[in-house]
Amino acid sequence: MDFSFPKEYQLFRRMVREWVENEVKPLAKVIDREHRVPHETIKKAARLGLMGVPFPQKYGGMGGGEIGYCILMEELGRACSSTGTVIGAHTGIGAMALYLDGTEEQKQKYLVPMAQGTAIGAFGLTEAQAGSDAAAIKTTAVRDGDDYVLNGAKVFITNGDIADIITTMAVTDPALGAYGGITAFIVETDTPGFSIGSLENKMGIRGSSTAECVFQDVRVPKENVLGQFGAGFLTFMKTLDIGRASLGAATLGGAQAAMEASIQWAKAREQFGAPIATKQSIYFMIADMAIDIEALRSLIYRTAWLIDSGQPHILEAAACKTFGSEVSHRCIDRAMQIHGALGYSRDHWIELGWRDQRISEIYEGTNEIQRIVIAASLFRPHGLRIPT
Amino acid sequence: MKIIVPIKQILDPSGMTFRRDKERMFINREEYIVDPASKAAIEAALQLKGDDDTLIAISMGLPQADDALREALAMGCDEAFLLCDNAFENADITVTTSILVAAILKLGGADLIVTGHQSADTGSGQIGPRLAEALGYAQVTDVSAMSTEDGVLQATRRWGTAEAAYATVEAVLPAVVAVTPEAFPPRYAHGARIMSAYRDWDVPVWDMAYLGLDEAALAPLLAFRREGFPPPLEVGERFHGDPADVAQEAVMALKLQKLIG
Repeated sequence: MDFSFPKEYQLFRRMVREWVENEVKPLAKVIDREHRVPHETIKKAARLGLMGVPFPQKYGGMGGGEIGYCILMEELGRACSSTGTVIGAHTGIGAMALYLDGTEEQKQKYLVPMAQGTAIGAFGLTEAQAGSDAAAIKTTAVRDGDDYVLNGAKVFITNGDIADIITTMAVTDPALGAYGGITAFIVETDTPGFSIGSLENKMGIRGSSTAECVFQDVRVPKENVLGQFGAGFLTFMKTLDIGRASLGAATLGGAQAAMEASIQWAKAREQFGAPIATKQSIYFMIADMAIDIEALRSLIYRTAWLIDSGQPHILEAAACKTFGSEVSHRCIDRAMQIHGALGYSRDHWIELGWRDQRISEIYEGTNEIQRIVIAASLFRPHGLRIPT
Repeated sequence: MKIIVPIKQILDPSGMTFRRDKERMFINREEYIVDPASKAAIEAALQLKGDDDTLIAISMGLPQADDALREALAMGCDEAFLLCDNAFENADITVTTSILVAAILKLGGADLIVTGHQSADTGSGQIGPRLAEALGYAQVTDVSAMSTEDGVLQATRRWGTAEAAYATVEAVLPAVVAVTPEAFPPRYAHGARIMSAYRDWDVPVWDMAYLGLDEAALAPLLAFRREGFPPPLEVGERFHGDPADVAQEAVMALKLQKLIG
């Protein structure tokens, strides 16, 4: 059994770490304060092939698979959750849906520019009355000639206002409900009728934009139906299933950063005549971080391996997201405690990490939904169906 | 134009600590990196390289120098060769030169050879000039900018000891250029090339026999005796007192020594 990363991934991680240190990290506080998306970073990422890491090179991607993508997300999570969120929503769910369910024509037309970073993607599922209950979406798509006409509004869409392409779910047959009644569409945002409503004023990840997307008689050609007509629910479930692993990787990076900062601070800070690192209350906190991080790291990369080798991974990916978000919560919270008052200062990194972390337990399927997914996966072989 | 870049893999200096009190060097983290001067050389060559030019990286090293060459390929080199043999173990700068020259000749020579001016570990700064002498090529060292046109190299290098004096030198190709690392910050490798570097491309290994080297060529001129720290520097002047006064005194002292204007 060889648990080491193949050499190309080791080199990739080194390159990404250096790039993140020099190009991403210096902007982390800036984009938080200025409440803006780091467009300059996105362009730099595109030039290095970092906007399409998991996709094969024949689709303009980097050919890094899920393992490579988790490495990128981990390194981003270690430095700037906002940048990770922008790239993650683009690659991990926006473009990923196209990769999983697109036809060759659709992939050449849309996936290639998204993988190359010349087009930005987003994933349009959530609505005001449909969050965890994703099947309760009300945006409609009605056939009219060779087009479908979309009407409705999506909320909390990451990259909604900067995306060129939004993979959107709409109801094509209200009578059929979730299975059979929902279809996925590839919507180009410069289509007349598409507009942005409000932008969320978030506690954290303020360097990413979360937008209300309004569809008013938006005409989408029938060629832009993504996946099987009526099987949109499956398309988005598949996409979210995979997206979870890389989200877990991002939280791993955040937890890692929290632990590294805690080690540095505990060594440097002296109280009662010695570094606080020598006090058991402190080093026990750090030891607990390390235990969580080791477990999470193994889970993330094993799950990435399952995905890359085409094996079942639904339970593991949901565990990545759940465990990862809860681990990073514990780690960044303990890091703030270890840093004391300094951790509470806006001039320091910890409070930014603390604010950025919290969303990871909520988005992309709340941790409660993840537990339903995991339970369903456990009971299915026993013939018991856990309803969502 | 054929450009060859000899590169070097070194132990990452940031993984080492030096304890003068224990007269020892500690390796806390044994990690190997491409020498920063070599990376700058690759970058300089990449900037110069046109679509019709070929860029070849070579390295004399241990088997793990393969990783350094893969990184060179990922950055944009077209080919890479590892020069590796147990008999190279005790190589000094003259032996290293012989090995590199043998490889360069095996590749049919080059129009331009680009090296780093000085490596971060041994720092002899001799490879560039030694290669030029052995091959009979022109040489320009400590280069911060360069271009080629119609078989002529134009290179800007530091001139004399004055702080900001430079000279532009012309050399007829073939030439060896040793670049100043700070002048060529290396690019990040494109992700797809990183993947391909290990999955799609080869780094052939050339040994002593393949390079046509005999024991005489591999006999070092230098013998390694021991490692040690240089003698401690004399302590400078200490100033005590009110910070404002101390600042005045320190500035005056620096001015008297002509260290500041």
